[in-house]
Amino acid sequence: MNSPGVTIDRDVKTDELVINMGPQHPSTHGVLRVILKTDGEICLDAQPEIGYLHRCAEKIAENLVYGQFVPYTDRMDYVSGMGCNLGYCLAVEQIAGIQAPLRAEYLRIIVTELNRIASHLLAFGTYGIDTGAITPFLYGFREREMILDLLEMLCGARLTYSYIRIGGVDGDVPPGFIDKLREFIDIFPGKIREYNKLLTFNHIFMKRTTGIGVLSPETAIAYGVTGPNLRGSGVRRDVRRDEPYSVYPKLEFDVPVGTTQHGGPLGDAWNRYYIRMKELEESTKILKQCVEQMPQGPIMAEKVGRVKPPAKTEGYMRSENARGELGFYVVSDGTMQPVRVKVRAPSFSNISVLPEIVRGQMLADVVAIIGSLDIVLGEIDR
Amino acid sequence: MNELANFLPTVLSRSGLTVPSALIPVLAMFLCASIMAAFMGLSAAVLVWAERKLAGHFQCRLGPVYVGGKFGWLQSIADGIKLLLKEDIIPDQADRPLFRLAPYPVVIGVLLAFIAVPFSEKLMVTDFNIGVFFILAVLTVEVFGVILAGWASNNKWALLGAMRAAVQMVSYEIPMGLAILPVVVMAQSLSLKTIVAAQSGGALHWFVFQPPFFMAVSFLIFFIAGLASLKRAPFDLPEAESELTAGFHTEYSGMRFSFFFMAEYAGMLLVSAVASALYLGGWHGILPGQESVWWFLAKTGFLIFVMIWIRWTLPRLRIDQIVYVGWKVLTPFVLACVVGQSLWATLR
Amino acid sequence: MTAVTTYFSDVFKGLWTAMVGMSITLRYLFSKPVTEMYPDVKPKTPTRYRGIHVFEEEKCIGCYVCAKACPVDCIEIGVVRKGKEIKITKFDIDYQKCMFCDLCCEPCPAHCIHMGPEFEKASFTRRGTILQFATPKTLTEEEKKIEKIAKK
Repeated sequence: MNSPGVTIDRDVKTDELVINMGPQHPSTHGVLRVILKTDGEICLDAQPEIGYLHRCAEKIAENLVYGQFVPYTDRMDYVSGMGCNLGYCLAVEQIAGIQAPLRAEYLRIIVTELNRIASHLLAFGTYGIDTGAITPFLYGFREREMILDLLEMLCGARLTYSYIRIGGVDGDVPPGFIDKLREFIDIFPGKIREYNKLLTFNHIFMKRTTGIGVLSPETAIAYGVTGPNLRGSGVRRDVRRDEPYSVYPKLEFDVPVGTTQHGGPLGDAWNRYYIRMKELEESTKILKQCVEQMPQGPIMAEKVGRVKPPAKTEGYMRSENARGELGFYVVSDGTMQPVRVKVRAPSFSNISVLPEIVRGQMLADVVAIIGSLDIVLGEIDR
Repeated sequence: MNELANFLPTVLSRSGLTVPSALIPVLAMFLCASIMAAFMGLSAAVLVWAERKLAGHFQCRLGPVYVGGKFGWLQSIADGIKLLLKEDIIPDQADRPLFRLAPYPVVIGVLLAFIAVPFSEKLMVTDFNIGVFFILAVLTVEVFGVILAGWASNNKWALLGAMRAAVQMVSYEIPMGLAILPVVVMAQSLSLKTIVAAQSGGALHWFVFQPPFFMAVSFLIFFIAGLASLKRAPFDLPEAESELTAGFHTEYSGMRFSFFFMAEYAGMLLVSAVASALYLGGWHGILPGQESVWWFLAKTGFLIFVMIWIRWTLPRLRIDQIVYVGWKVLTPFVLACVVGQSLWATLR
Repeated sequence: MTAVTTYFSDVFKGLWTAMVGMSITLRYLFSKPVTEMYPDVKPKTPTRYRGIHVFEEEKCIGCYVCAKACPVDCIEIGVVRKGKEIKITKFDIDYQKCMFCDLCCEPCPAHCIHMGPEFEKASFTRRGTILQFATPKTLTEEEKKIEKIAKK
C-alpha cells in the first residue's frame, strides 16, 4: 500500500486542550480566571489571570484622609476584614506615633481572631465543596454565623466591619457580648472535632488531597507564599510569633506546621487545609486568654482627632491575616492624606505559585489546589 | 401485562365499548407504558422534593417550605413548570440533531428497565425470564445519551464530563453485573420474580442475610456500583459541579435539561428497586407471610434515603480513583463473592 | 506496611470513615434547623446595627461635617441660614454609594445622624435608592437665593 514517493498526511493527532476556567466558574473562589492547558484530564499548565475585581483601592487611599480609608480595607480581604483594618491602623499608628490603649488592643485581637476563625471556617467549607462534599460547608457556616452575630453585636456590620479605627476601636463591648463569646469558646472545640471527623479524616477526602499540589518550602519562600500555605510546607513562620505586634507577646499559642504523620508529604493540599483546622484551635485558645486578660480602660487613644503624621515619614507594618502576611506601606508628606499606600496582599503571592504546583496534576486536583490556597480575589486585585 | 390483557375485555365490555380482539394486547401495552411513564415522572418529582428536603435537614436547613403548604410538597411541580417555561437554548456551534436527540436515550434507558421490576407478585409489567440481564443491558443505553450530550454540546466541559461518564460506565458495569451472579446462583434463575419468590419466609430468608454473607458483600458492591452508574455522589464526576460546572449537561436548559434530571432520579428508584428485589426480599415482609407492594416500596425508599444520605455526606472521588475502585477493589471482591457463593452452592 | 495490608486498610478506612461521617450527618438530620425564616420572620438587629440612617432634622445644624467625613461623598445637604434660624432643605443620602461605614455619624456635633436598624431599601430605579431625609419645604424666593447646597 505504502508506495515510495507518496507521503501520508496523518490527520489523527493529539493536541493540548486549552480550557478557560473562570471567571465564572463555581470553584475559582471569586472572579479568578485560570487558563488551563490539559492533556485529557492531566493538567499541563495553568496560568492564573487576575484583575477582574480591581477597584483601585490603593489610588483611592491617596485621595482620602487617613481615617476614611479604613472602610476600604474591609473590602480588600472581605472574608477577614478585621485583619485588614488592623494592619492598616497599625501602619498609620506607627508613622503617626499613636499608641492605642491596652483594652483597645485586646479588643482588636479578639475581633481579628474571631474573624480568623470565620475566615478559616469559610475556607474549610468551600474546600469541602471543591472536593464535592457540600454539607461541611453548611456546618461551617452555622458556626461562622455565631461569629458574625458576635461581630454584628460589637460593630453593627457582618462583613465590612471597619471596627478597628486609628488609635483604638469603634466601640466598647456591648452587654452580653463577653458571655456569648465565652459560650462560643466553650462549644467550638467540639465542633472542630466534628469537622475533622466529617471531612478532614474522611478517607476519600484524604485520598483526594494528600500528595497533590506539593509545595516545597524553597518554592514557597521563593514565591513569597505566607500564612497557612507556607506553614503547611513545614516552615514555622508566623508574624504573630516572629515579630509580635499588639498584645500577641502576652499570649500563648502554638504555630502549627505541616506534618507527615497522616500519610501525605509536607506541603500538599491536605496539609495546607489541615493547618487551618489546627489554627481554629489556636485562635480559640487566644480568644480564651484575651477574654481573661482584658483590662478595663479607654478604648480610644486620647487626642487622635485628625491624623496628621509628620512629613517624609513612611512605615511598613506587617500583620498576620487569615491568609498570610498582610503588609501596609504608608508614606506621609505631612498632610492629612497619605502620599502612597501600598498593600502587600498575601493572596497575591499565594496564587502566583499556582502554575508551579498544578503541573502534572489531574483536572479535579486543580480545583482542589486552588481551594487549598484559599485565595480571596478582592485582596489579590484590590 | 398479560393479566391486564386478560382483564381488559371485561372492563371494556362492561363500559359498552367494542374493541377488536387483536387490538387488546396493543391497548394493554399502551396502558402499561403510560402507567410506567406516569409513575416514573411522579416518582422523580417526589424524589426531587425528598432529596431537597432531606438535604436541607441534613444541613440544619429547612429545604423547600413555601410551595404547597408547610413542607413545600409542590416544589418539584413548580420546578417542573419553571423548566417547561424556560427557553430551550441550543448553542450556536452545537451539533443540532445530536443535541436534540441526546436526552431521549437517557430517559428511554431508565424507562425501559422499569418493565422488569417486580413491585409485587402481581404488580409488574412483565416477568422476563432474563429480567436481571435485561435491566443491566437496558441501563447501559443511558450512557449513549450522556456521551451524545457531551459531544454534541461542543463545550469542553461537557466533553470532559461525557468522557468521564464513559470511563465510569465501563468500569462499573462489570462489578454491577458480577454482583448479581451470587443471587442468580442462589435462586437458580434470572427472572426477578423467581428470585424474589426464592426469598420468602421472613427477613432471615432474604439473600442479604444468607450465610456465608457473600451476598451481603455483593449487595454492598451492587449498591456502590449502582451509585456509580447513576452518576450519584460520591461518583458524580460526569457532572461534578465544582470541577466541570455541570459536566455533560452544561449547555442544556429547559425541558431537555429536565430529562437528564428526571432520568437520574428515576434511575435512583430503579437501582434501589432492583437491589431490594435481588437482595432484600422484594415484596416479602420482615415476618414470614407478610407480602405487600408496600414492603417493596418501603425497602426501595430506604435505599433511596441511603443514596441521598451518602450524597450529602461524602466528598467526590477523582477519576483515577474511580477507576481504581471499580477495577481493583470492587471487581476482585465481587469475583471472590461469586466464586465463594458458587462453591458454597455446590458443596452444600 | 506491605502493599496487601495497605490495600485492605484502605478499603476498611474508606468504608469506616464514610460511616463516621454519615453518623454525623444523620444526627443533624434530626436536630433543629438553625436557619431563620427570613422574609416571614424579621431578624432582630442588634442596637449597634449599621443600617439605613436615622436623621433627626430638628437637631441638625447644617454644618456639613458628615458630608465631609463621608469617604464616598454620598451625602448632599441643603441649608437655608437666616441669622440663627436654620432650615434643612435637603438631606439626601445616595445608598448606591453608601457603604455603611458609620464615619458620618461619629463627627456630628449635634448627634443628629445615626445608623438605624433598617436594611431593606432595595429599589427598582436608581432614583429610588437616593433617600431624602429632610421634610419637604416650600421656600420663598429670598430663601432660595441664600440656600446653600453642599456636597462635600
